[in-house]
Amino acid sequence: MIALTRRRPELGLLFWVAALGITGSVAVAAAEAAGFRPQQLVIPVTFVIVAFVLHVFLAVRGIRGDQLLLPIAAALTALGLVLVQRLATNLLLQQLSWTLIAAGAFAATILIPRDITALSRFKWTWALLGVLLLMSPLLPVIGREVNGARIWVGLGTVTFEPWEAVKILLVIFFAAYLEEFREVLSQTQRRFGPIPVPPLPYFGPIIAMWAIAMVVMVFEKDLGATLLFLGIFLAMLYLATGEAFYTLIGIAMLIVGGFAAYQVFGHVAARVDVWLHPFAEEVRFGTGYQLVQGLFALANGGLFGAGLGNGMPERIPVVWSDFVFDAFAEEVGFAGALALLALYLLFVYRGMLIALRAPTPFLQLLAAGLSFIVALQTLVIVGGNARLIPLTGITLPFVAYGGSSLVTNWMLVALLIRVSDVTARVRGTP
Amino acid sequence: MEITFAVLLWAVRIAFLLLLYLFLLRAFGVLHRALVAERAADAPTRAIGVLVVERSPGHAPRVGERFSLRASTSIGRDAGNDVPLSDEAASARHAVLELREDEWWVEDLGSTNGTLVNGTRIERAERVRFGDELAIGRIAMRLEKGAG
Repeated sequence: MIALTRRRPELGLLFWVAALGITGSVAVAAAEAAGFRPQQLVIPVTFVIVAFVLHVFLAVRGIRGDQLLLPIAAALTALGLVLVQRLATNLLLQQLSWTLIAAGAFAATILIPRDITALSRFKWTWALLGVLLLMSPLLPVIGREVNGARIWVGLGTVTFEPWEAVKILLVIFFAAYLEEFREVLSQTQRRFGPIPVPPLPYFGPIIAMWAIAMVVMVFEKDLGATLLFLGIFLAMLYLATGEAFYTLIGIAMLIVGGFAAYQVFGHVAARVDVWLHPFAEEVRFGTGYQLVQGLFALANGGLFGAGLGNGMPERIPVVWSDFVFDAFAEEVGFAGALALLALYLLFVYRGMLIALRAPTPFLQLLAAGLSFIVALQTLVIVGGNARLIPLTGITLPFVAYGGSSLVTNWMLVALLIRVSDVTARVRGTP
Repeated sequence: MEITFAVLLWAVRIAFLLLLYLFLLRAFGVLHRALVAERAADAPTRAIGVLVVERSPGHAPRVGERFSLRASTSIGRDAGNDVPLSDEAASARHAVLELREDEWWVEDLGSTNGTLVNGTRIERAERVRFGDELAIGRIAMRLEKGAG
């Protein structure tokens, strides 16, 4: 019983998640059918039960440390289910089954591996696995091209985006690699003016990363993955070495690469042109239609929104996967969108605190990198939806429709909880 | 009837937005409490202690001298001790003051004349709280909170 009472704050927060998810679902269902039937509650209630089961599972396992990440992730997932119900009701059952799989993946990551610091020992395995997964959509039989981007792998009717799993593998690899070599990378004697020049064997993998990111951009036509890929690497490199110059070089290379891609590849140029001139006559009803409709939805939202189930999100093409943020903002307004962003902020802040307090450099880099994934993804997709930056095919973590994204994000949460559990054990705190 | 349904629907919509903010508020509260608890647990002054000399007829150590403590602090007549005492009644290696799970414990190392905590001679390892007096030979010291 002691084990159950230790995670009381988490349990308390989950009751609010339950209330939030069920209220949202009721509002959407009632608005749609102009009436309400109790059986529509089955899906939110199932999810709420899953969330409570996960809580009990953590408590019984005696997992210590963070009690905030599970409720926030659950709240975001509950909002995601409400939005899928609103935007693509026919996909709701599918999304719920993906949620169950995600919960299973979360539990598995809590149970195995026994010692997460041992993950650093197999770093080259993770790197190899990551590169193979990243390249897998290019393979002839299983690779799929959807909406111009070749980032899918499919077997029969089940498809997933290998990129989603790759980002976690990459963070584990980077954390282990940088833990081993950060001294060499940050304490270089040779300097070329203000530029630190590390020995080539240590700099090699950095160049390799850049090259792979460019290959992905060229062959898979996936701008978002490229941006995330490099962003994660540069952020972790900076965290490990404290050398701002590496980051500046990386950003410079990204700008050069991006500019070259704009000149050479049609799909990159199209994205940028839509971003710059969405209302241009030939773009508005063509390639820019989705973004323009999204912007109208944002504007329509106002301060408090049109009310759940009262907006016109069906006017945005593929709204359930690319434009959930705009749809959410339209129906709950600036106030709701702000709360959603605050949830992400809280999640990332908590993740970074876990990183700061972690006992070894590997765990610190791991937690920081995982938190950074969520931060960067949110920034890139919300920025894209609001036309602050060119739109990319990144998903809004936990909320957007999509199985692979949901499963890997829940594994990410489990890893963060594991790091905070290790920290709590080392420090002797609950 | 129609109107009631519309009113109810709006009530649910407003409740949804309110719940979103209430959850956020509670989550911030949980984080805040966790941080406060962490800071209390981290406070380096909690376990760190000093021995302040209160009585020393031989003037070595001087009265008022402060010895900052290590996790295991040796006390005795030898100059090599962390707290050296020049008193004939003190043994060469007299006692050891140790931090065990955030508590200070003193253990007599089989000295000839014994170690006293608050005037009582100790038999086995004894817990010493901040403010307690430790007496060895004619020298008396008080355990106080804080560094050096």
